[in-house]
Amino acid sequence: MADRYMIEPDLNFIKELNGMGADTLKKCYQCATCSVACPISPDDRPFPRKEMIAASWGLKEKLIKSCDIWLCHNCGDCTTMCPRGAKPGDTLAALRNYAIMDYGKPRALAEAVNDPKKLPILLLIPAVIFVIVGLITGLLDFTPEGSEIVHSHFFSSWLVDLIMVPASIWTVVIFAIGIKGFMKDIHENAVAEGKTQKEKLEIVPFLKSIVNVIPKILMHSKFSECGENEERATSHMMVLFGFIGLFIVTSIFFVTMYGFGIHGPYSQLNPVKWLANIAGVALVIGSALMIKNRFAKQPDQNTTYKDWSLIGLALALGLTGMLTEMTRLGGAAGLSYTIYFIHLMFVFALFVYLPYSKLAHLVYRTLAIAYADYSGRKF
Amino acid sequence: MDKKYGVYICTGCGIGESLDIPKLCEVPEEEGITCKTHGQFCGKEGLEMLQQEIDGGVNTLMIAACSPRVNYDTFDFPGSIVDRVNIREQVVWSHPRDKFPALTEEEKEDEEKFDRVQMMAEDYLRMSMAKTERIILPEPYKLEEEMSKKILVIGGGVTGITAAMDAAKAGYEVTLVEKEEKLGGYAAKMRKQIPVDEPYEKPMKPMIGGLIDELNGFSNVTVKTSTVVARLAGQPGEFFVTFKKPGEKIEFDVPYPLPEEMTVDESGKELDAETLHQKFMEYNEGRKDILTIDPNAEKFGAVVLAAGWKPYKPKEGEFAHLGFGENPDVITNYQFEEMAAAGKITRPSDGQPAKSVVFVQTPGKEDDADFSYSGSTASLVALKHATYLREDYDDAKAYIFYQHMRTPGLSENFYKSVQQDTGIFLSKGKVSAVSKNGDGLTVEAEDTLLGEKIGVKADLVVLGTGMVPATKDDPVVNMAYRQGPGFRDIDLFNGYVDSNFICFPYETQRTGIYAAGTIRRNMTMGECMEDAAGAALKTIQSLESVNRGVSVHPRSGDMTFPDFFFQRCTQCKRCTQECPFGALDDDAKGTPKPNPTRCRRCGTCMGACPERIIGFADYSIDSIGSMVKAVQVPSEDDYTEPPFRVLGIVCENDAYPALDIIGLNKGAFSADVRLIPVRCLGSMNVIWIKDALSQGMDGVFLLGCKHGDDYQCHFVKGSELADIRVKKIGDALASLALEHERVAQFEVAIDDYDKLPKIINDFVESIEALGPNPFKGF
Repeated sequence: MADRYMIEPDLNFIKELNGMGADTLKKCYQCATCSVACPISPDDRPFPRKEMIAASWGLKEKLIKSCDIWLCHNCGDCTTMCPRGAKPGDTLAALRNYAIMDYGKPRALAEAVNDPKKLPILLLIPAVIFVIVGLITGLLDFTPEGSEIVHSHFFSSWLVDLIMVPASIWTVVIFAIGIKGFMKDIHENAVAEGKTQKEKLEIVPFLKSIVNVIPKILMHSKFSECGENEERATSHMMVLFGFIGLFIVTSIFFVTMYGFGIHGPYSQLNPVKWLANIAGVALVIGSALMIKNRFAKQPDQNTTYKDWSLIGLALALGLTGMLTEMTRLGGAAGLSYTIYFIHLMFVFALFVYLPYSKLAHLVYRTLAIAYADYSGRKF
Repeated sequence: MDKKYGVYICTGCGIGESLDIPKLCEVPEEEGITCKTHGQFCGKEGLEMLQQEIDGGVNTLMIAACSPRVNYDTFDFPGSIVDRVNIREQVVWSHPRDKFPALTEEEKEDEEKFDRVQMMAEDYLRMSMAKTERIILPEPYKLEEEMSKKILVIGGGVTGITAAMDAAKAGYEVTLVEKEEKLGGYAAKMRKQIPVDEPYEKPMKPMIGGLIDELNGFSNVTVKTSTVVARLAGQPGEFFVTFKKPGEKIEFDVPYPLPEEMTVDESGKELDAETLHQKFMEYNEGRKDILTIDPNAEKFGAVVLAAGWKPYKPKEGEFAHLGFGENPDVITNYQFEEMAAAGKITRPSDGQPAKSVVFVQTPGKEDDADFSYSGSTASLVALKHATYLREDYDDAKAYIFYQHMRTPGLSENFYKSVQQDTGIFLSKGKVSAVSKNGDGLTVEAEDTLLGEKIGVKADLVVLGTGMVPATKDDPVVNMAYRQGPGFRDIDLFNGYVDSNFICFPYETQRTGIYAAGTIRRNMTMGECMEDAAGAALKTIQSLESVNRGVSVHPRSGDMTFPDFFFQRCTQCKRCTQECPFGALDDDAKGTPKPNPTRCRRCGTCMGACPERIIGFADYSIDSIGSMVKAVQVPSEDDYTEPPFRVLGIVCENDAYPALDIIGLNKGAFSADVRLIPVRCLGSMNVIWIKDALSQGMDGVFLLGCKHGDDYQCHFVKGSELADIRVKKIGDALASLALEHERVAQFEVAIDDYDKLPKIINDFVESIEALGPNPFKGF
């Protein structure tokens, strides 16, 4: 019985998936319409039909450790065409959410991030940290001087970085732990299920694969193959490039401040400022479009708390950032400082909760796509 | 009845354009029969004209127009003989002038030229004239004594109870007999049943209790429990039924026919009728002959047989590979149901809760066939059983491995609903082995939807075995019929009582006895109840047909019945043996005793009789024989190259309509054939073939239904018997120095109309290749 796969259905896993938006997965009757519709289904392994039966049989290990679930962009073709209303797209989304929680340690924090009841506490944490650290270090000045509104007068750049730099390191460490497990698992799963010929995962060729796939990811070339949710590629691209733009701006700011001692705010004529403004606007419009699309697709496609919280966070980041700038230019000091404070809370939330939120797909999906490229999966 | 003939040729629908009508009229006129034409006989004016003719004394009308299959109610003139001559579909439409050109004026002068289509129409008129001369108006058959309209229902389960109530609601007296002490059958032994109502999603409380209560409210239903039928003699309208307690031995227990080996002497020669009867009585010592009527018998008009099912009992070692018989934790679905009805699901080996149960729907040996006697019901039962387990334990897991998940109709909703239970796992797959694994079992499955060889740990394994019809091993009805107490040849259908599954549900091979429920196929209770209603309606149809002296089915309303000229009977018993419906019971001397209300009027007896003493008022050896002889067979005396003549004897149930459809679809077949419809090929008497060939016809073909195990014959055996008869005349043909290829039989279904022209034309070509019949012109 060495080659026999012993089935151990996990009833709780099924129930948890049901709770994560895959409440229809048991409706699947294995007709494989989804595999015909799916642009990334390989010829020899009907995707996502196999994932659907594994999910309805509660075969957690087979699914959470599979790189395939990450290749799906939830384009929705399968969900639309499914004759039984089983919504394979929702099941795959739930599986990815489940995987993010599984790889995000500690588990308790992962669960809190995905529990709407815990949202106030999670948002309160950065506020408390900021206030306490600010008061202790004296880097938080509630009565900033000067006629010009300069946010660092209120909220010292030292204070921001005193908190954000460790927060970033935390994120990196948590991800490092997650990635280690993730890469091991998806490779083992691929070997066990015959999805790859490579027995050992070699680092250098894998890194080459990452380099290979990044332009494709940026171009959204797979994403735009989707029929049903075509417009989502555009909004996703706006949000992604918004984040990238803002990341670049922040990096430049960081380097110029600590390297050259040049402090903000920058002039509106500065090209860095242009980039910042464009990226901020892209983030706001992109995330607003996402919300609109999500509403338009209901109830045919489920949108879960995890989806809403991420889009909400993106929109909140963009809006508070833009408003901070606008109120500053408009001279509304009190308002501007308040919004800035809120903006910083969201930035903190973005960093610290990143490994547990849906945004973690940035990391896992990239790795999975790279792994698919590396293992030679046809898709 | 003094016949006054009239021929009426319709010139509508293209007939007038294609045929030389005045010349056609000469055919009857030469015989002194008036011939009238009209452009549309089926219209108001045309019908008035026909009515005037009848008023003027014509009582035998030959209407040469469309097929008798259309406008049959339009040309219904009670009290007159009406013969429809099909010159539209089978002459004009199927022989269009672009393929069969009419003669030009010049050609008409040439005596060597002939018009094949015109010849065809003229022959059909001659055939009609010959036929009408030899038939009489039928009169209905009435039973000598007053008939009974009481309905007997055998079986007191869901089906029987429903049938009894349905018949009672229609106002009929019903007696329901049940062999057990209590009503209810297996329906009363279940935890739950498959839903019969909207939304068809959850198993429901068994309905049987409510049905029994409802039945008790009927004053016109008599219930006899602990009762079985010892014998059922007579015929519809007067069935004489003897009841007894189960297991009792009485003189009116039904006798069984002699086994075949006892019907011959040492040299293998068949014994004479009287010796046979003597042996029969010895063989059935202590039992009265079938023709002896029990004076205390109760009289019934018709019967619903709802004898139900028995759980399949696996043979020793049959499912050893699945651990059945070796491991107490491998059980059948029926054993599972018993356990569920008694309490929670446990392991028989140690009484511990069974929380992981595998339902196996296919034995999985060589092929993917399900367990025998299972089907869609077994699929639904497995789904239902899975819900039992989930009811009993929150953390239970039920696995169903199937090759076929059959959930017909609205039971699809049931499937959908069960499938969505978190703890129920379904997959197509082959279960290859069940082995012991500690306290539990390991089930191995292959080719599953999960795509690999898998194993499942189980506390209990349930085999989806089937429901065996009660009629498999026991006749149940115990008919005092010469052909035997049970239904003949039902082993073809694994013991299911069948006549023709698709066309005639409920109808058995015995008129007046209607099958319902799980003796027809495996069914859910919902299906049984529908079936019961159908069978109850059939009994009523039967009673009301007997009442009027007409046939029940499939020739519903036919007033004719076979008439025997007994003075010439040689007691050969062929009619008794060949009747597909056991309508004839021969007496001690071997003389057949007809039971007209058992008869379906197929004429198989007429085809079988070597003495040709059996006939119907409007259908006889002579009427058809004279039609054969009425066909003009041109010889070299008439033309240098005379056309061939081929006779087609055509079953009117499938082949004849198919021929009409050829015409409707503007197809075409040889104009040298002459077609004669017959009630069933079983009624085909070989004398017709001999007549045809001896008068110079070049070939004869028979068109009938498919026969064999998956027969389509409306009268079960007709086409098969014709096939046997045709094979036997090969020798007779050889003695006449005729090739046996001149006679052939083809199987056609009604939808074979597109293939039929080729079949006919190929046969005509093969006859042309053989050359003309040497007897032509003699």
